[in-house]
Parts: sequence; structure tokens; C-alpha cells
Amino acid sequence: MAEIGKIMIKVPGTIKKGEVIPVKAMIVHPMETGQRKDAKTGNLIPEYYINDVKVYYGNDLVTSMNWGLAVSTNPFITFYLKADKAAPLKMSFKDNKGGAFEQTVQINPQ
Amino acid sequence: MMKKILVLLLLAAPIILSSANSTVSGKDTKEESAKGSQEYVMGVDVKEFEKEYAKVHGNELKKMEEDGNPADFVLDDGKAMFHKVDGSKGKSCASCHGENGAKLKGIAISYPKYDASVDGGKGGILTIPMQINICREKDMGAKPWAYGKNEIVAVELFVKSLSNNMPIKVKTDGPASKFYEAGKKNFYTRLGEWNWNCAQCHVKYAGRYSRQELLPPAPLLGDHWPSYRLDWANTNTIQERFKGCIKNMRPKEIPEFETEFMRDLELYVTAQANGRLQHVPGFRR
Repeated sequence: MAEIGKIMIKVPGTIKKGEVIPVKAMIVHPMETGQRKDAKTGNLIPEYYINDVKVYYGNDLVTSMNWGLAVSTNPFITFYLKADKAAPLKMSFKDNKGGAFEQTVQINPQ
Repeated sequence: MMKKILVLLLLAAPIILSSANSTVSGKDTKEESAKGSQEYVMGVDVKEFEKEYAKVHGNELKKMEEDGNPADFVLDDGKAMFHKVDGSKGKSCASCHGENGAKLKGIAISYPKYDASVDGGKGGILTIPMQINICREKDMGAKPWAYGKNEIVAVELFVKSLSNNMPIKVKTDGPASKFYEAGKKNFYTRLGEWNWNCAQCHVKYAGRYSRQELLPPAPLLGDHWPSYRLDWANTNTIQERFKGCIKNMRPKEIPEFETEFMRDLELYVTAQANGRLQHVPGFRR
């Protein structure tokens, strides 16, 4: 219900240097598969989903993902990161209609 | 000889069939309708239910909620809208109710409540969405928001979140008592294709299965609204959930938002959660 492209990234509160931490991210997106029909007109609702996700830790690309129509609405992902430096963690999402959304959190290992 | 047995069987069939049915619904319906609303015995107590639920489903829903409740985005939207100036008088909700709703802390646990000025001065039950629209029209000079849609759900969620972890304390005595009784009658009113009422699932047969889900007892129904539901992939209010449950009963008509039926029912259902700590937004299947 919130606007499309809103991102929430959660990292643990306290991080030890070198620790492997879970990073949880959620983005608001309808992820239309292109296979649903509009109830009133009977036409197919066109595909509208995130297809490319890139995660940067500082200047390094740590992971990239190709998502497809099988990923649910408001996708939620958990991945693990070795927190060995104090650097911004940036996640950028692109969808098939050219929409681009990104969010950054600071990782500060103690 | 065979013919005689066959004829006897055919004559006896209605008696055999009706006695098989009456243990489920037949006899009860007529007697209960005659008495008006009647209380059933609660099928399961809250603690037993929570233990059973944890055994069957683990804490899968709780973990999903901790990972991230999409309703938190709606909460942020609500907070933003609360501070946004709207209407001819140039005010926002925060202009009267304080920055971040400071003056509204602890208010939501007493809603819905009796108010003498609603329903054209007759007096009736006031819910938070109704109150939001009254504030908008009277005090802000703004257009009322449509019930069940994004804006009003977001602001209701924000207002309720200011009372999180406080025990729900809805008044059911005094002038509210006749509406509480009306709500109880609604809870026990049989609707739809199978003549079901709310109480059958949530009191009498609470704790039993409905397909793969356990039926929650009445006290667990009203303490977590507005809530995100996986079924909706969206966040909405208790009355939207009533609409969904009632739609499943397949009656001819589903009551509209903020009608007397819905408001009295909301009072009764929320009152069943009296004493429980409010926890919004909720996160359900």
C-alpha cells in the first residue's frame, strides 16, 4: 500500500569486525507476473517486476541477483555479509519498466 | 419381501437423515433463533490455543513479522500524512494533536467508544476512522477520506501505534451498553448460505481446524488492527476483515464500512480483547 520502491534494510545493531551478519531487505513492489487478468476488462495485467538487484559494500559489488516473475509481491530477501570494513552498503533495484530504486545503510563494525 | 423393506427404508429416510443433521446444526438453529442471542461455551482458552498454534505452526508468522512487516511502510506513510497540512483551514493533524501525535498517546485503547453526537445526534459508536473524518471536515476544512483506502488506514495505524503495548480498555457499560448488546447480537446473528454466525467459529468451535488454519477464540480477534495480511498482500482495518469473513459466509448483502452493524460489531469484538496488550500493526496469514 505504501508507494512502490520504498526499501527497508535491516542489519544487526552491534556488529563485530569480521563477523558474518544477516542483512534483511524488503522493497514495496507489485511484482506483477503478467499472467493475472483484470477482473473488469478480462485483459491480462502486464508484467511489472523487479528483474535486477545489485548490492555494493563500499566500492565492491558483493552480489547481484536476477529476479523473475516467480518472486512474490513486496519481495523480502536475507543475505549474509562478512562485515570486515566500515563502509556503506548500497542496494539498488531495477524493474522491467525502467524504474530504479536504491537505499544505503552504513555498516560500522566495532 | 424386498419391496416391503425398500418401501420402509424410503419412508424412514427423512427421519434418519434429519437425526444425522441435528447434531450439527438443525435443532440448534431453531431454538437459538427463538431465544435471540445466546452465549456459547468458549471452545478453547487463549493460553491453550497459543500453545496448540505454536505446536502446529511453530513461530513461522512471528519470524516473518520480525524480518519485516510491510505494514511498517504504511505506518511511515501515516506518520507523514499526520504532519501534512490539508484543507481550507491550513492545519495538519499535528497542529492540534501535537508533533508525532504526542497528545494522542494512550487514546486509541479506548476506541471504539460511545459518542452522543454521532448518527445525527442520536448517539452511537465512534470508531477511529470516523473520528479522523470528523476532524478533517470540522476542524481542518478538508474532504473526508474514503473508508478502507490507503490514507485513512495509514493514519489510523499511526494513531493506534501511539498506544502500542498498552492494555485495551474499551467501555461497555453506561450509554455504550446497549450498543455492546447490539454488537453481541450481530456476533451471534446467523448469515448466509450455511446459516453461520461469528460465534460458531470463534467461540463454540474455537481451537478446531478450518481447513489448515486453527480458529482463534474471540479474545484474540481485536487486539492487532490495522494489520497486514498475506492473503491481502496489503494492510487494512478490522472492518475490512469483517467484510472478508462475512463474504465467506455468502450472504445476499455485505454491510458497508461504518454502518451501525459494523460499528457495534467492532465494539463487541474489541471489547473481547479487553486487558490484552495492543500490538499494531498486526501480521497474519
